[in-house]
Amino acid sequence: MSAVAPPVTEQPSGGASAAHQAAQKRRRRRNLLVGWSFILPNFVGFAALTLVPVIGALAISFTDWDSYSTPKWAGLDNFQRLWNDSNFWAALQNTLYYAAGHIPLTLVVSLGLAVLLNQKLRGVHVLRTAFFFPYITSLVAVAVVWNMLLSPESGPVNQFLTFLGIDDPPGWTSSQDWAMPALIITSVWRDMGYYMVLFLAGLQTVPAELYEAARMDGAGAWQRFWHVTLPGLRPTTFFVTVMITVSSFKVFDLVQVMTEGGPGRSTLVLSQLIFREGITQGRFGYASAVSLMLFLICLVITVIQFRMQRRSER
Amino acid sequence: MKLTKNLARIAPLIVAATLTTTACDASGTDSTSSSQGGTVVKIALWNYKTTPEFKALIEGFEAENPGIDVQPVDILADNYPEKVTTMLAGGDTTDVLTMKNVTDYARYATRDQLLPLTDEAAGLDKASYSGLDDYDLDGKYYALPYRSDFWVLFYNKDMVGKEDLSELTWDDYAKLAKKFTKGSGSDKVYGTYLHTWRSVVQAISSAQTGGDQLGGDYAFFKDQYEMALGLQKAKATLPFATASSNQITYDSQLTTGKAAMVPMGSWWAAALLAEKAQGKNDINWGMAPMPQAQNDGKNVTFGSPTAFAVNKKARNADAAKKFVTWASGPKGAAAVAKIGVTPAYTSDKILDTFFSVDGMPADALSRRTMQPTTVQLEMPVSDKTSDIDQILKEEHEMIMSGEKSVDEGVKEMDKRVKDEVQ
Repeated sequence: MSAVAPPVTEQPSGGASAAHQAAQKRRRRRNLLVGWSFILPNFVGFAALTLVPVIGALAISFTDWDSYSTPKWAGLDNFQRLWNDSNFWAALQNTLYYAAGHIPLTLVVSLGLAVLLNQKLRGVHVLRTAFFFPYITSLVAVAVVWNMLLSPESGPVNQFLTFLGIDDPPGWTSSQDWAMPALIITSVWRDMGYYMVLFLAGLQTVPAELYEAARMDGAGAWQRFWHVTLPGLRPTTFFVTVMITVSSFKVFDLVQVMTEGGPGRSTLVLSQLIFREGITQGRFGYASAVSLMLFLICLVITVIQFRMQRRSER
Repeated sequence: MKLTKNLARIAPLIVAATLTTTACDASGTDSTSSSQGGTVVKIALWNYKTTPEFKALIEGFEAENPGIDVQPVDILADNYPEKVTTMLAGGDTTDVLTMKNVTDYARYATRDQLLPLTDEAAGLDKASYSGLDDYDLDGKYYALPYRSDFWVLFYNKDMVGKEDLSELTWDDYAKLAKKFTKGSGSDKVYGTYLHTWRSVVQAISSAQTGGDQLGGDYAFFKDQYEMALGLQKAKATLPFATASSNQITYDSQLTTGKAAMVPMGSWWAAALLAEKAQGKNDINWGMAPMPQAQNDGKNVTFGSPTAFAVNKKARNADAAKKFVTWASGPKGAAAVAKIGVTPAYTSDKILDTFFSVDGMPADALSRRTMQPTTVQLEMPVSDKTSDIDQILKEEHEMIMSGEKSVDEGVKEMDKRVKDEVQ
C-alpha cells in the first residue's frame, strides 16, 4: 500500500478552485500523517536505540568519561591519543588485513557455490542446506571446534599436512603469522552459506533466454559465466559486497572467542579495541573516538562502493 | 465511519506508546521488601550454582537474621566485571556487589560507586585477616574480604609416590616434572601442567624475587621463563600453543591423570571436592607449597582476596552492610571453610573446620601448605594496572608460544610499558 498522495491532475480554474485546493492540501496532509504514523513505531525504536546513541557517541568522543561521573570536556585529546596509540594502529592494520582476506575470498567462494548448486541435480537441496549450516551454528561452537581442528600439534589439519609431507606445518592460532589466516579461513567457512543463498536468489533473476541466445552464438560455459551470469548478478554482487565489507570491518565475536586478539596483538581488531577500552577499562571517551574512526572508515568505503556501482550502471 | 478513520490514525501511536511504557515498567518493578515483609538485600555474584560459597554465606546469614531476605543476582563469571561496570553506569540499585578482584575494586571505589566501610573495617581483628590490607585506599575501606586465595602446588598422590614436595625449589620441581613424564602418543602423561595465564610465570616470580610488575623493568621474569620454556622443550608439560588453541582446562589435566603436578590457586580445592562428591573423578590429590626461587625455608606465594562491597545506590544499605560485615567475620569464615573454601579470616578453629571437610587431604604437608609465610597480591593496584596487565599478557603469549625469545619478549615489555602507559 502507498501512503503517498495520488498524482493530481490540473483542474480548470474557476470559483471552486480555492476550496478545491484547500481540500487537496488537507488530503495531502492527512496522507502524510497516515504515512508517518505507520513508520513511527519503527522510527521511534531506531531513534531511541540507534540514532541517539550514535550522535551520543560522537559527543562522548570529545570528552573524558568513565560512564559514571560527569563527563569532562577533553577537546581533541582522545584523537591525539589515538594518533599516538600503537594499539590503534596495530588494530587498524589487522582489521584491514582481515578485510582484505575475508571480502574477496567470501565473495569468490559463495559465488562459486551458488553457481555450482544452481543446477538441477538430485540432492541439491540437501547440499544447499548443508552449506548454510555453518551460518546458523553458534559462533562459540564454531570457534572452539576450529581451534581444535587447527591445533598445532594434535589438530587434524596439521596431521593431514604432515601426512602430505609438510614437515613444519603452521602453528595457526598460536602463531603470530598464521593466526589471522586461521581467522579468515574460519570466517569464510562460516559466512559462505549465507551469501551463497543471496547469490542463488540473484541467479534466479538472470533470464534463461540470455543463456539460450549466448549458446546459439556459440559461447562456452566460461564465456556464458563471464558475459551473462556476472553482469546479470551485478545488483546482487553489489549488495553482497557492501554487506561483507561492513561485517568485515566490524568483526568482533569470532576474534574474541577464537584468539582474543592474540598471540600478542597479532589479531587485535578495531571492535575489540573499542570493547576493551570502553567496557573493560571504562574509558568511554577514548573508545568512542576509536568507534568514530571505525564508522568513518566504513562510511568512506561504502560511499566509494556506491559511486563505483553507479558508474558501472551508466 | 469517522470513528474508524480516527482509530486507524491513532492506533499505531497507541501501540508505540504502549510498547514504550511496558518496557519502562519492566525495569521499574523492583521491590524493597519481600512478600513476607522482611528487608530484601540483593547481591550481585557469579555462577551461583557452581560457586557454592555464595549459597553457604547467604543461608548462614539468613538463618541468623530472619528479617532479612538475601537474593542473588546471578551473572556469568566470564562477563562479571563488564556487567557490573555497565550496571553501575546505569544507576543500578543492587545492594551488595561482589568484588572479583582488587583492580576492579579500586576502579569502582575511586569512581565513588561504593559506600565507605571504614568504620566496619576498624572493628576487625586485622592480624587474623589475610588480604584486608589490599582494600586500604588511603586509609579508607570500601569492601571487606570474605575469602582469600593463594597459589599452591596441587599434585596427584599416586603419580608423585614417595617424592618429598615439602621444600621444593623451581629447579627441584623441574627435575621432578621431567621424572614424572612418561609414555607417548595418547598414553603420554606429563610431569606438570603450567596453565596459560601470565600469573603462572610472572606473578610468582614477582612474589619470590621482589620484582615490581608495574615497574617497567621486567628482567626479573627471565629465570622463571627459562624454567617454564625448559619444561616445554623437554615435553614435561603440555605445550602452551596446544593448551591455548584447544582451550584446555587446568582441571582436566589433573583429574584425568594427564599431569602429576599443577600449580594453581587454592580455590581449586573446593571444586575438586565438589567433583569428587558428584562422582566425576576419583583422583587422589594433595597440596604442597609453591616451589620457591630461594631455598630459605619460607613459603612465599601470591594470591588475591575476594570481597563484598555495598553499592552507593543500595536500596537497603544498612542491611547490606550487616551482610558484608557478617560474611567477612568469623561466622562467615566458618561457613565458607565448611565447604573447603579458604576464608580471608583465619584462626586455628577455622583451619580445623577447613581440614575436616569430607574428602579434603588432611596430611601434614597439605596443612602446612595452607599457612604460607607471605602472600603477595597477584597484581599491584594502580590506575595503570589494567593497561600494563594487557601488555604483559600479550608478551607472555609471544614468549610461551615461542614467537619471541625470552630476551626479546622482556625487552618488548619494558619498551611497551614505558611507551604506551601514561
